[in-house]
Amino acid sequence: MSALAITGEGSLTGGRPAPGGTDRRRRSSTAGWLLFPSLTLVLAGLILPLALMARTSVAHFDAASPDLVGFTLENYARFFGEPFYLTILARTLLVALSCTAICLVLGVPAAFVISRVESRTLKTALILATIIPLLMGNAVRAAGWMVLLADKGLINSALLSAGLITEPVRILYTGSAVVIGLIAVLLPFMIISLQSVFEGIGDAYEEAAQTMGAPPWTAFFRVTLPLAMPGIFSGCLLCFVLAMNAYATPVLIGGPSFQMMAPKVFEQAIKVYNWPFAATIALVLMAVTLALSVASSLALQKRYGAL
Amino acid sequence: MSSILIKDLVKRHGAQVTVDHVSLEIGQGEFIAFLGPSGCGKTTTLRMIAGLTEASAGSIHFDGRDVTRLPPYLRNVGLVFQGYALFPHISVAENVAFGLQMRNVGREEARRRVDEALSLVKLAHLAGRLPKELSGGQQQRVALARAIVYKPEVLLLDEPLSALDAKLRTEVRSELRRLQSALGLTTIFVTHDQDEALSVADRIVVMSAGRVEQVGTPREIYQRPATRFVAEFIGLTNLFPGGLDGHGRFRCEDGECFAVTTTDAPSNASVLAIRPEQVRLVRGVPAPDGESAVEATVEDVVYRGALTEFVVRTASGVKLAAHLQNADFGRDELRPGDRVVASWPADASMLF
Repeated sequence: MSALAITGEGSLTGGRPAPGGTDRRRRSSTAGWLLFPSLTLVLAGLILPLALMARTSVAHFDAASPDLVGFTLENYARFFGEPFYLTILARTLLVALSCTAICLVLGVPAAFVISRVESRTLKTALILATIIPLLMGNAVRAAGWMVLLADKGLINSALLSAGLITEPVRILYTGSAVVIGLIAVLLPFMIISLQSVFEGIGDAYEEAAQTMGAPPWTAFFRVTLPLAMPGIFSGCLLCFVLAMNAYATPVLIGGPSFQMMAPKVFEQAIKVYNWPFAATIALVLMAVTLALSVASSLALQKRYGAL
Repeated sequence: MSSILIKDLVKRHGAQVTVDHVSLEIGQGEFIAFLGPSGCGKTTTLRMIAGLTEASAGSIHFDGRDVTRLPPYLRNVGLVFQGYALFPHISVAENVAFGLQMRNVGREEARRRVDEALSLVKLAHLAGRLPKELSGGQQQRVALARAIVYKPEVLLLDEPLSALDAKLRTEVRSELRRLQSALGLTTIFVTHDQDEALSVADRIVVMSAGRVEQVGTPREIYQRPATRFVAEFIGLTNLFPGGLDGHGRFRCEDGECFAVTTTDAPSNASVLAIRPEQVRLVRGVPAPDGESAVEATVEDVVYRGALTEFVVRTASGVKLAAHLQNADFGRDELRPGDRVVASWPADASMLF
């Protein structure tokens, strides 16, 4: 009887491939056309402006005329020649890397705990709590930090009235303030992406490791963490790219004394009207971010296989 | 390799009781099968023995040592998971070596024992592969090698054959049995497949709704089921509701009356059960003395090669299944509509 059922099913599936094949071929040719609108959009909205920006970055800056004139590398020479700008680039890199590292250290345990919570309600509540910081705008959040961190802000007044300090401590407009402000934005991204990764891995591997004699910590570091590596990398990449290009937080919390790349682009383009130099800074920022992302993903691919 | 003593083990999930006062004694080197329908608590019991699920009450002893509150990594058990849970990022050899590394076994010694375990399951030539490059049957054997390489006190198998196809299952089953007795491992095998349990285990623990229904050898479980549930769950059974009449006879609800042996039957028995292979079908000849017999009409005949499955209906309308061996090829054929006498030895009927 079971043999009958199998042949019946076999002939059914056996009859299918031919129409299925033509179906798929037809669909893929349609798919090509379906790509057209989005391709056009990408072409018009991304490639063209980028090309224009590249052109602008090699133009000569003339304060008197807005036209693109000449072909020169003087803007790049200026950026890489002046320690002022190199310091801004280094500072941006430092901030982005420290934000990523701190988000990683804070995000992995949080994401792991959320992924292993059994109650659905509690899990939903925790995920919601994680993304609440993202529900308000960048500027609003930064304003909140300013109230908290300013010389006469909440933290300083509390410390003063408690008698722990005699004069306000400088927090706002320092690197630490910017890092704190950025982490508040980036951590949710890290936690959400890692949480789904841990969820996908499940706890069977950890249980297997434990029955074989591995304490929970060992099981986590020997089994779960290596398996989560591709996801951890994407989370880090997301944080790094967002931090590299952060604008509102550095402007509002870093202020004029703590300058980073993205605000500098804005300043050159809108305040100084030096579009060629603004384009140069933007392209350098993009190139450095891209180069580091590609290099790290290649290195990781070598270690952990395809990501 | 230890004996296991389980005493009044209970698992509660809120108000729901998934394992209800399970007590069990398992001897050293014994092969035990936990058998029951899904949701009967057999896997939960296994997980409590492994330490992966915390017991709500009761105790578990390995060789007299109380392990009830020990975490899994201190229990020294080998567990083969239903989906194997082989670590996908490391090779077969590294998977097998994992338990040895956790026990700080030296590099040389570990390599030797990994080789030994992999040869035992005939996979030494695949040591360098990743688990995903292996077939299902091979993965299953890696999981087994990984669980026995560090000489666990107890080997636990959670439906280890369910992911394999039918032919491979029979093969792996006998392989498992061979390994188990060669290594003398105390083994618990969780399954919902009665064939697997009957063919592989020294003793079977039949579970239902969190309780142990019966513990016994495969033969005892099949031939002398302790409860109606066991009789119905293991093998095919004809059931007749009714009651004893006090004169060595069982009166069915529909009026039929059968002679039964009542020596170890409960006096308030409400069901008579009879295995289909005990039933004989004869045309027109009265049943010999000491047999229960009933006149019936053949309704359905299914020829299965080694045996033929009949369904007959008695005069009062009760359906009865009978499985007859086809050893006698010359026997005249029964067809639907034929009048027959269905009979069976009085002591073959089971009362619950």
